[in-house]
Amino acid sequence: MSKSANIAAAGHALWANIPKVNTELFALTYGSLITEILRDYDQDIPEINLQLERIGHSIGVRCVDELLAKSEVNGISIPMCKDLRETAEVIAKIGFRMFLGVNCDVGKLTDKSFSLYLSENPLNIFVELPSSSEDEGTNGPDWNQLKYSNIYCGVIRGALEQVNLKVECSFVRDVLRGDEVNEIRVDVKEVLAEGAGEDYHEE
Amino acid sequence: MNKQESPILFLIVGRNEPLYSSEFISNQTTISDSITRQNYFVMHSALDLVDKCAFTYPQMYLKTVDKVNHQMVTVFLTASHVKLMLLHSGKGDDVMKAFFMEVYELYVKLSMNPFYQFDTHITSKDFDDRVRAIGRRYLLS
Repeated sequence: MSKSANIAAAGHALWANIPKVNTELFALTYGSLITEILRDYDQDIPEINLQLERIGHSIGVRCVDELLAKSEVNGISIPMCKDLRETAEVIAKIGFRMFLGVNCDVGKLTDKSFSLYLSENPLNIFVELPSSSEDEGTNGPDWNQLKYSNIYCGVIRGALEQVNLKVECSFVRDVLRGDEVNEIRVDVKEVLAEGAGEDYHEE
Repeated sequence: MNKQESPILFLIVGRNEPLYSSEFISNQTTISDSITRQNYFVMHSALDLVDKCAFTYPQMYLKTVDKVNHQMVTVFLTASHVKLMLLHSGKGDDVMKAFFMEVYELYVKLSMNPFYQFDTHITSKDFDDRVRAIGRRYLLS
């Protein structure tokens, strides 16, 4: 009980100390990134989802060190995660809170997967997906397949890779498509071996 | 008994062509095909007057730019020269200013949508619903 309170408090404390950027600037920048990618990949929606995930991955591998470093500097101790539930809590309460300032909840926890619920998403505050009209037929892209915030999935995957957890992440519910919350499903595929490769082992 | 005025026409005009149009009709209005087409003609001819006012008048809300028969054309000009035009027969200044400000806010929010390209037709159903609600609230009371 008190552990989760500590984690939440750590998240709030880190958010208070981190430098911030204007939300609208952030949302508009991401929006123009999306339109540029749409133009580059010729509106091929599955390819675009993949690219967003890869961009997120590059961001994610740096996030873990950032989180641990910032908490060291501010004297906040984040206890080592003993099980998947604690890992999920840290991602939701500290990670999302610290980097984005949003509230994130954990749910549907099994021993190999969990869900993250985002009620507010700073990336899509101005966004409305265009409707695929009937007269476009099969030529127009199917906007319902676009995972606008797929970058989050990449970030989570990249971050957990740094702590030796190989996961698969996907958006199952999206506010832009009409659902009530954004839900990201995280499945742990395997726990990678600890430590560096054989070359680095001491004689 | 008391025949009301013709329907109020609201147009959003971009650089080259109208991007959005809607009509606000109260219960007692008479609608006929020729009236509607005439409305568009009146709006079109008012565009020159708008351009004339644009560089002399310091405000965004240009008030009434043209008077035809008993109808007036009131225009709100945005910073990017998108014209919000209203064809009506005598509404209070405050009412129209409030109407234009709310529609302008909606338009700004729409233009922040990364999927909306500037100066293209406005097809968002959400935008349409909201403009109609605002119109009903201010112009048909």
